[in-house]
Amino acid sequence: MTREELKSYVEGHFDGKLKSLDTGRYDPIFEIQPSDLITVAKALRDDESLKMDFLCNLGAVDTCEKLEVVYSVASTTKNLRLDFKFSLPYDNPEVDSIKEVWPGIDWYEREIWELYGINVRNHGNLKQFLLPDDWDQGNPMRKDWDAPDFIRMPEV
Amino acid sequence: MGLIKKLPVYSEKIPGGGLVTTSVETVLHFSQACSLWYLLFGTACCAIELMCTGASRYDFDRLGMIFRASPRQSDLIIAAGTITKKMAPRLRKLYDQMAEPRYVIAMGGCTIKGGPFYYDSYAVEKGIDHIVPVDIYIPGCPPRPESLLEGCIHLQEKIKKQKLSDWQEK
Repeated sequence: MTREELKSYVEGHFDGKLKSLDTGRYDPIFEIQPSDLITVAKALRDDESLKMDFLCNLGAVDTCEKLEVVYSVASTTKNLRLDFKFSLPYDNPEVDSIKEVWPGIDWYEREIWELYGINVRNHGNLKQFLLPDDWDQGNPMRKDWDAPDFIRMPEV
Repeated sequence: MGLIKKLPVYSEKIPGGGLVTTSVETVLHFSQACSLWYLLFGTACCAIELMCTGASRYDFDRLGMIFRASPRQSDLIIAAGTITKKMAPRLRKLYDQMAEPRYVIAMGGCTIKGGPFYYDSYAVEKGIDHIVPVDIYIPGCPPRPESLLEGCIHLQEKIKKQKLSDWQEK
């Protein structure tokens, strides 16, 4: 399946829940609704021609107006890759845990919870992960984050 | 006193050796400087240069420097690489476990002032000199093995020059 075939296949199936974004990058990227997350994840994993059985990465992006959560998945048998993402409000962002679909996402979800302050519903093990044990300064990957010894790059 | 200090230098030139008198201080510091065993403490890319310096092309051994995996056998800690805020207490702990006299070389920009992580980083310690006392700073990102060798030679000179009373006060 080529890149274009994959794009049209994913858009044509799954009840139109994945909308393709034309970003020019090689791996196609789709936008979904946060409420559809578990349904979409299960559908991508169980689809006979995609078989997205491997979760490569889960990342978050702070765009200063909203937070974006990006899931990168791959198929080890069909040699396919795709990303899907959605936006969350800046205040009290919440996502559903998809540990039941790809159990390997556990640590990634802890990471975005800790670094971006995105609460993960039904995760069950959200606790201190990467930051120092005595950390009490909030979520450092947020763009508005600040600390006494944090030095921002001066504008050039 | 001046002659006694210089005696080891002259005696090296005496063929066949002979009876040499010198001060305990000179002999002690000479032997210390010539057998600096360093603790392996490579935390980032500077460690690659450190390994290269330890390998046959640059040959750290000729300075009497042999790597040790235990702080209890080391005289010197070469902090090679970025020290994060999580790593800082471990560096201090390893330094405390070393027997005196002990020396620290800060290798690379990260250990001097945070290096490329000075701006916009929540995780990197901006310089190790407020965690452990540093004897020699080697700038570079990462420094070449030649720089590291020169830094070590400077440290040896520093050790040879010091007085017994210096490291008792430390």
